[in-house]
Amino acid sequence: MFNGFLEDLVNNLKKLPGIGSKTAQRLAIHLISKEKADAINLAESIKDAVQSYKHCSICNMLSETDPCLFCEDSTRMENVICVVENTQDAYLIENLHEFRGRYFVLNELLSPLDGIGPEEINFPKLERIINSGEINEIILALNPSAEGESTINFLASQFEVKNIKITRLSTGLPFGGDIEYTSSLTLSNAFKRRYSVTE
Amino acid sequence: MLISSLKIKNFRNYSDFKIKFNPEGALILGENGIGKTNLLESISYFAFGKSFQTSRDLELINFSKAFFRIEAEFIIQNKSYSFEAASDRSKKIIKINNLNIARISELYKHLKVVYFSPNDIEIIAGSPVFRRSFIDQAISQYSFEYIEALRIYKRILKQRNALFKANYSTKEKRAWDEQFAQVGTNIIKLRLKYLATFTPLLEKYYKKISGAREKLNADYKYSFPNDDEDIYDNLMDHLLRIEEQEKHQERSLAGPHLDDFDIFIDSHSARNFSSQGQKRSIAIAMRLVQTELIKEKDDDTPILMFDDVLADLDKMRTERIIEMLKGKHQIFIATPNVTNYRSFGLPEIDLKHELGKTSET
Ligand SMILES: [Zn+2]
Repeated sequence: MFNGFLEDLVNNLKKLPGIGSKTAQRLAIHLISKEKADAINLAESIKDAVQSYKHCSICNMLSETDPCLFCEDSTRMENVICVVENTQDAYLIENLHEFRGRYFVLNELLSPLDGIGPEEINFPKLERIINSGEINEIILALNPSAEGESTINFLASQFEVKNIKITRLSTGLPFGGDIEYTSSLTLSNAFKRRYSVTE
Repeated sequence: MLISSLKIKNFRNYSDFKIKFNPEGALILGENGIGKTNLLESISYFAFGKSFQTSRDLELINFSKAFFRIEAEFIIQNKSYSFEAASDRSKKIIKINNLNIARISELYKHLKVVYFSPNDIEIIAGSPVFRRSFIDQAISQYSFEYIEALRIYKRILKQRNALFKANYSTKEKRAWDEQFAQVGTNIIKLRLKYLATFTPLLEKYYKKISGAREKLNADYKYSFPNDDEDIYDNLMDHLLRIEEQEKHQERSLAGPHLDDFDIFIDSHSARNFSSQGQKRSIAIAMRLVQTELIKEKDDDTPILMFDDVLADLDKMRTERIIEMLKGKHQIFIATPNVTNYRSFGLPEIDLKHELGKTSET
């Protein structure tokens, strides 16, 4: 029953996170049968956003401008950097209004199974920022998964000799839990009660 | 806890089957090959999230069918729960009261089944794999912390093994080693704690079954040099020493996934110095201790399944075991031979008859 363009649409929707076959079919039918102008607008805005957003050359955050608004903002503290896995996590933390420093987005976590090592998590770039000497606290705001924990261990071991305070979010986050699915109250507490990794 | 009804579709030899159970359980009768074990397997799927015989769902799907589905009503702490599990070739879905569970480990929290398998003698006589899977299952039913630690350990182990196939820096390896040793140490400590509670009970149950007075002991065997004092440091040191070997074999060569434990009977290794009959009695005693510890922890009684295991014991031992458990648990005994068990007064289910009933409707 699904063929041609509609089949393509269903298959493309299915690639989105959390969308299964049934949902993809329902969405596709909805898009082509209801307000057509809305669907065209959606298509346009997807295209605009995708084409105009790229990774900030300083912090890797997805941004319309380069450098991003965070890196451009001179009112933010220059000496504290919060390391996150992805742009979404940075926004979650930003929405807590607890943090006014810089961000650094790894885009990946260490995962030998996927061939992801220090290069792939943008470690050399982070190292250059830290070596510039302006930073005196690194907050490692990563998920407490196997990959997140190893990335925390790795980054902490790299910077521990530099006389920099290195903290991580408190274990208010359940072990194996996910920042994205944590309530903002829990995340806010985890952020406030962050603790030193290197003692 | 108990199961009150079961519906299975396309599972092993069952294409479409429905049955109700009594709170006391049942004697499941039928000749070999008719599907007694498969019936127990389908019920216990809800306790383990997989079969007790294979971790591949594919093998459970009835020949030439695309999926299987099992539905069951359980009563846990006097509340009624509906469980549902379905698996096709690519994914499985498990629901409790119509809600998808996020992780298999949630099943361990709800439902406890102890399955006395004819292969349990391997826990004493077989390779370390059997003992590790026994202890991992038993502690998972006992401590939720353990299931979580085990899940994360397995993930780290996979990652660490993949690391040995790649080019890595010393600091990158250390990042994985630290976590591996940390979670590994937690697992070992939980195992030691469990064994410390387990061993005295093992001797008690062994005596009850066999009437013998031998002393039983369990000793944890590490896959790395360790004196119990500082497990984490000892494991970390060892990982440094064996790096070249691990790199060469591209896998992790020390840690709880390779640890073992020995059962001693009057200070001789039960594996090497006990008779078949002693081994069998010890294996059953181990399952009984597993049962006892779940009971202590949950304040509820696990469902017990004896898959033709009592047949090899003499009548007196069998009676001692059933007398101990009857009226306290829902008990299923699968057997081709009713005469050994008739005296226990469990309701009888004639599988051949039941299978015929379903195919008529
Ligand atoms: Zn930026």
